[in-house]
Amino acid sequence: MSATSPSRSAVFSMLQLRGGWALVRGLWLSWLQYRSFFFLLAFGWMIPPLIAMLVWMAAAGDGSLQGLNRANLAAYYLALILVNQVTYAQTNWTVGDLIRTGELNRVLLRPIPPLYDALASEFAGKVVYLVFDLPVVAVLAMILRPEMHWTLPGLLAFLPALVFAWALRFLWGYWLALLAFWTTRADALLGLQDTLVFLLAGQVAPLALLPPTMQYIAHLLPFRYMLAFPVEVLSGQMDTRQMFTGFAMQLAWLLFSALLTLLCWRLGVRRYTAVGG
Amino acid sequence: MRALGLILSFVRVSFQEEAAYQSNFFIHVFYSLLNLVTGVVGLSILFSQVQQVNGWDFSATLALLGVYLTVSALRSLFIAPGLEALAGMDGEIWSGRFDFTLLRPLNIQFLVSLRKWRLFSLFDLLLGWGVLGAALVEMRFALSLGQAAIFLLALFSGLLVLYAILLGFTGLVFWSPDVLFTWLFDGLFQMARYPLAMYPGWLRWVLTWIVPVGMITSFPADALRGALSLQALLAGLGLSALLFLAASLLFRQGLRRYASASS
Amino acid sequence: MTQSLINVHNLTKTYRVPVRPAGLWAAARSLLHPTYEDVPAVRQVSFSIQPGEMVGLIGPNGAGKTTMLKMLCGLLHPSAGEASVAGFIPWQRQPAYLRSISMLMGNKSQMLWDIPPLDSLRVLGEIYAVPPVELRRKLDELIELLEMQELLNKPVRNLSLGERMKCELAGGLLYSPQVLFLDEPTLGLDVSMQIRLRRYLAECNQRTGVTVLLTSHYMADVMALCRRVILIHHGQVLYDGELNGLAHKMAPFKLLRVTLRVEDFQGQALPADLPNGVELIEQQAGILTLRAPRALAAAATACLLQSLPVADLSVEDPAIEAVIDQVYQAGAV
Repeated sequence: MSATSPSRSAVFSMLQLRGGWALVRGLWLSWLQYRSFFFLLAFGWMIPPLIAMLVWMAAAGDGSLQGLNRANLAAYYLALILVNQVTYAQTNWTVGDLIRTGELNRVLLRPIPPLYDALASEFAGKVVYLVFDLPVVAVLAMILRPEMHWTLPGLLAFLPALVFAWALRFLWGYWLALLAFWTTRADALLGLQDTLVFLLAGQVAPLALLPPTMQYIAHLLPFRYMLAFPVEVLSGQMDTRQMFTGFAMQLAWLLFSALLTLLCWRLGVRRYTAVGG
Repeated sequence: MRALGLILSFVRVSFQEEAAYQSNFFIHVFYSLLNLVTGVVGLSILFSQVQQVNGWDFSATLALLGVYLTVSALRSLFIAPGLEALAGMDGEIWSGRFDFTLLRPLNIQFLVSLRKWRLFSLFDLLLGWGVLGAALVEMRFALSLGQAAIFLLALFSGLLVLYAILLGFTGLVFWSPDVLFTWLFDGLFQMARYPLAMYPGWLRWVLTWIVPVGMITSFPADALRGALSLQALLAGLGLSALLFLAASLLFRQGLRRYASASS
Repeated sequence: MTQSLINVHNLTKTYRVPVRPAGLWAAARSLLHPTYEDVPAVRQVSFSIQPGEMVGLIGPNGAGKTTMLKMLCGLLHPSAGEASVAGFIPWQRQPAYLRSISMLMGNKSQMLWDIPPLDSLRVLGEIYAVPPVELRRKLDELIELLEMQELLNKPVRNLSLGERMKCELAGGLLYSPQVLFLDEPTLGLDVSMQIRLRRYLAECNQRTGVTVLLTSHYMADVMALCRRVILIHHGQVLYDGELNGLAHKMAPFKLLRVTLRVEDFQGQALPADLPNGVELIEQQAGILTLRAPRALAAAATACLLQSLPVADLSVEDPAIEAVIDQVYQAGAV
């Protein structure tokens, strides 16, 4: 019946993938039971950008601020809500718990790399949250009549920018969360990250509307590349040169956080197993 | 009189519980400061672009933020902790420990509302007052005694509405124990950071008549600006009293339902 | 004649439970058109308890014991029937009534978690309006009785389950209630703690005359503490009376244990003239266990002694657990 038997390593990697998929399906089934819980979470995350949107729209009135009129602002924030949902790494908050309660042992014993756990959780969760977000955003779009100027380069660059943004936000939060190996206060650092993202990543205001010094700092720090950058790419506000520099910064920060994560993980696990979990 | 003594012992025991974890205080201070910074920075950025939004300038909006922080602090101080312990995540209804509360020879609404105090929130209260004070200075506004009285009454009215809404949401848990209604309120309450005037008409309507979140902060803030007439104040007080009664009734119905339906 | 403290008459509780079928279609349908089914938990239960009695409420899981207790505490409204405890109707929840009863649930704690138990106990004293002098005296008494001296200043989260149970008991008794309801009080405790808890309960009953109604899965609890048991199954009272009478009524037979002199009793036929109704229920390494109806026990014994090489023979009452087990399975008297 079998024409060729797959090689051993291929089977092993298939198993690993299936393990990951099984994780995702398992998560979905249990989360469907607690729909309201997760929808309320998604609702809560949607509120700050929503408020910012309405306030800026009121501020713009019939005119425009730095070239953005009401419709532009509506479009910007509606896109931001969705991008925020996709890039927000909710699993980072659980990493500290895993370490603190000693449950990390269970994860370390599994044949699947520990990262799969987090990735499966991320993927499964975002699907559930987006099920809530998309209809709400659609309804808001009908009410608010957003306007966005799409360009071909922008549309093409959006997906990679989005994926890198998620990866950066995830990894940056992950290495911060891994500090739980050394301190019990790591969660506070995640809270700080959320605040910095709020201020410097286009949530409290589109970057174009920030005071010049803040804008300058925002372009240097990693936070913009976690959230605002994909939205700016999509909205066609940038020329090719700006997009190019943006991607370069994004990838540089991504590389840096990947290295930090690897470092923290190696050192952390060594300390964890030495101390005795 | 006995009620007062009881409240005092609740406060004492709550403080003992909080003090058991020393690190909590610093984390709490940290998050409170973050909250303050985001609020104030947000306002500064907004008003660096425009002078006023729908009739509200920087100082007036700052005053509203001060009211918001004050009300938030009072909410975390004594209203929310007790209700959260009942209806929130890992609360008594979720974990089945509500029976113990029901066995007490006390009015359940009284017990549940006033039994837990988070004294760390006094720090938030100070921050809120600080912002209020700063806003008043900005407005070059010296409050006369009468104006201060009106403001305090409006604030009290706002607090009553806050309590009523929270109590109502808590009561709903008796019908749908799986839904975390208080989280729903948290999201809506965030909207009270900004004056209702800044929101589109339909939202303003929702936040005034469906979930009167607007009454909680915009109302006292209007009093600070001197934009609150006596009639409006009386109407507000009447409305908040009505909401309080309605929420209490809802809660009582919920208790009765719990007593006939639970196993 | 003493007036009974607890009076229950035809108490009934039926739950209306929404039917939640499996499968996506059925779930959607049930959302629009919910259907309910009636689940009877307690059916026409009647009994009376005198002041100072210690009564055990036993029955398999889902028999209705906890529902029964909750109705008597005023936590649940019955569907039909009446009850009065200490002269009050429980579900009216009058403060005076709530001050005269106490309920403890095994494995569920009412102590505040992060602070020493003494602080929780003081708050309870305030809630139950115990005058400070009386509170002090009662606490001292309970601390001494329950051997709680070392526990007083440790936060409750650092205490073991058994130590926490002692605190619970103190909390339940410090306002001197008339009735103590206990729902599975020894659940999860190790054996030595179980024994001690039973001793505490017995002493409290003796010293203060508090009436105790307890449910338990551990027959040892009931056997040690309760002269009287009420057996509930499927929401109905199957038996209400003395514990040793239970065996007589439920399982009117005796167990005959025969030890044979000969090691190699290869399943030889039992004596032919063994009375009808006597059966062999176990055979192991030369020890036979037979069950005989009470009336035939003597005859069966005589027959066995005559026909078999008996080294030792004993006639026993069946273990109470076995009796109860049989009742649970049979579901009837």
